[in-house]
Amino acid sequence: MFYLLIVLFAGTLVYISISERFRSYAKLIAFQGFLLFAIALIELKTINLANLIFVSAETLIFKAIVVPYFLFRIINQTKVYKVHPKAFPAFYSLLFTMAGLFISIVLSNVLKNPSLDAVFMTIALFTLYTGVLLIITHRRIFSHMIGFLVVENAVFFFSLAIGSEMPMLINIGILLDIFVSVLIIGVLMNHIGNQFSDLESDNLTSLKH
Amino acid sequence: MIAIYFISALLIALTMLTIRNLQLNRWLMVLFLLIQWLFNGYALMHRGETEMYYFTYDAAGILFLGLLTLISTAAAIQGLPYFTDPLNKRFRYSSAALTGLIVSITGAYLANDVTLVWILVEATTLTASVLIYSERTVHALEATWKYIFICSTGIALAYMGILFASLSMKGTGMHGLSFDGLASVAGKLDPVYLKIAFLFVLTGYSTKMELFPMHTVGIDANSVALPPVGALISTGLVNLGFLSIFRIYKALSSSPIFGWMNKVLILAGVLSVLVAAGYMLKAKHTKRMLAYSTLENMGLVAIAIGIGGIGYYAAFLLLVLHSLTKSSLFFQVGQMGRVLGTYKLDDSGLYLKLFPIGAIALLIGMLSILAIPPSGLFVSEFLILKALVAGKSWFVLVLVLILLCFSIYAMSTRVLHLLFSQPRENAAAYTQEIVGKWETISQFLFLLIVVGACFYQPPFLIDIINEITAGLPNL
Repeated sequence: MFYLLIVLFAGTLVYISISERFRSYAKLIAFQGFLLFAIALIELKTINLANLIFVSAETLIFKAIVVPYFLFRIINQTKVYKVHPKAFPAFYSLLFTMAGLFISIVLSNVLKNPSLDAVFMTIALFTLYTGVLLIITHRRIFSHMIGFLVVENAVFFFSLAIGSEMPMLINIGILLDIFVSVLIIGVLMNHIGNQFSDLESDNLTSLKH
Repeated sequence: MIAIYFISALLIALTMLTIRNLQLNRWLMVLFLLIQWLFNGYALMHRGETEMYYFTYDAAGILFLGLLTLISTAAAIQGLPYFTDPLNKRFRYSSAALTGLIVSITGAYLANDVTLVWILVEATTLTASVLIYSERTVHALEATWKYIFICSTGIALAYMGILFASLSMKGTGMHGLSFDGLASVAGKLDPVYLKIAFLFVLTGYSTKMELFPMHTVGIDANSVALPPVGALISTGLVNLGFLSIFRIYKALSSSPIFGWMNKVLILAGVLSVLVAAGYMLKAKHTKRMLAYSTLENMGLVAIAIGIGGIGYYAAFLLLVLHSLTKSSLFFQVGQMGRVLGTYKLDDSGLYLKLFPIGAIALLIGMLSILAIPPSGLFVSEFLILKALVAGKSWFVLVLVLILLCFSIYAMSTRVLHLLFSQPRENAAAYTQEIVGKWETISQFLFLLIVVGACFYQPPFLIDIINEITAGLPNL
């Protein structure tokens, strides 16, 4: 079951990298939240109840419901539904993503540690790679935001990987999630949306020299 | 005591948010600064003690806390002219955010735990972003967006570094991640994991230290933020970024990756000086030019730490004197902006004629930051070059010297243009706001200390720096 969830998660990452519709992004982020909840439930069954509730609430309520709700609201408000017409072609994204998956598998084998599951390491590195790729190759701020949320999920995977020994670290990771994501999505995106109707990062290049 | 400090600061910040009276708000800031000074004094008297398990009044914390208290007091005074309209609600958010920023930096300076430092650094991102956005312009929005986005991504990377460090500590029986705990087991940890951890931490915190590779956020933020805020970002926050990296560096100094960390620091330092020199030659905005100068100085600090030996002392001396000089320059450039009505270099000029006393402060500040004698920075940069000679790093030495020449040329021609030349464009845009002569007092005071340090470095400063760097391997 655990491996099935991991494979499903990797599937969402590949889908995100080739998707061009913002609504699909928001749905995939929500789905990733549910998957993380299930993975956390399986992985962290040995830690205490309070931490378990904390982690579950964060994945299920925050990552799967609250964040996607905000994302859909932004899409409806700004009425921007797709990635930039001149965005990186989906085919190349797919190639890069596959290369990323390969690199993650190799790297996690190089970094093999007896106290760490290689599968966990692979998916964490792959998630990090996909998030960064999304930020680098896309032009609209919404895609950057999705990239950031994917990076946050990578951080969650990393903290989950060592979570059974250091639960405090997980709580801190969650704190970061809540702090930053709400701030960026809720407050700043609205302000930027009011200033620039098309939410392109090209609009944010006046600060030079 | 630290609990009382945190609670009282929190109450003051919350009150600032709710009170709509400008005068009352200012008095609350005075009250907070008073508490900050008292806490600073308390920390000094209880050197070496630990409170609430997670906060230690160690030498590094005390040194930077003293600087922060001094500069934030000056910044609060310099900030007064920017918030005079009682109907404008921005002062409420700005003063509360300023309080929050100072408190989170203070906490991070004193925190003895890797994860706690990381949380407080994240808190500085949030509070600083409110201050950067205080002007509410399109530029401010852009800078704020970039600041939050890149800083948060950087902080997430730093967190991964911390997780890698935790991973390598699995099986050692250590719980939690205190700097001392990490140092005690560093020699036994897996070097590959430690290298990854250090790289992530360096990259992540370089957003705050304004060091290559993630220096861009700080530069954008500085060019948009109000000058007193820019002064605080370029000194208090930059020092925090440095300290966060240095504490990890020191904790891992007994591990086999020590030599490798030095090479990484030298590389990051040289690239910072290179980028700074290149962009300074293209700078068309006064505050941006100052931000690139911060990048250059932080590059020198990284090189100094990487080279070791006398470089350690030089790095800390440079940090102290840079903080005083850079804050003076930001204050002065702020006043220049009010006199000329612009920060754009092409639109500025004849500052010496319009506000002579401020122009003299700007000139002395420029000479000081460029490490031209009798600036105290000359001593620190000379010691860095001496360390490079001692370490036989000829290539780095020659490269740094050439790049420094570019920076000196770029900055001096620009500042001299500001002082003496006719504006190239749009001279009519001058607003000629009256700036009081008293507003230059803090700059002259700070610059006096910097010049004094060229001839005499007080024993307590030498002691405190030696205490910070004690235990580091001598190369």
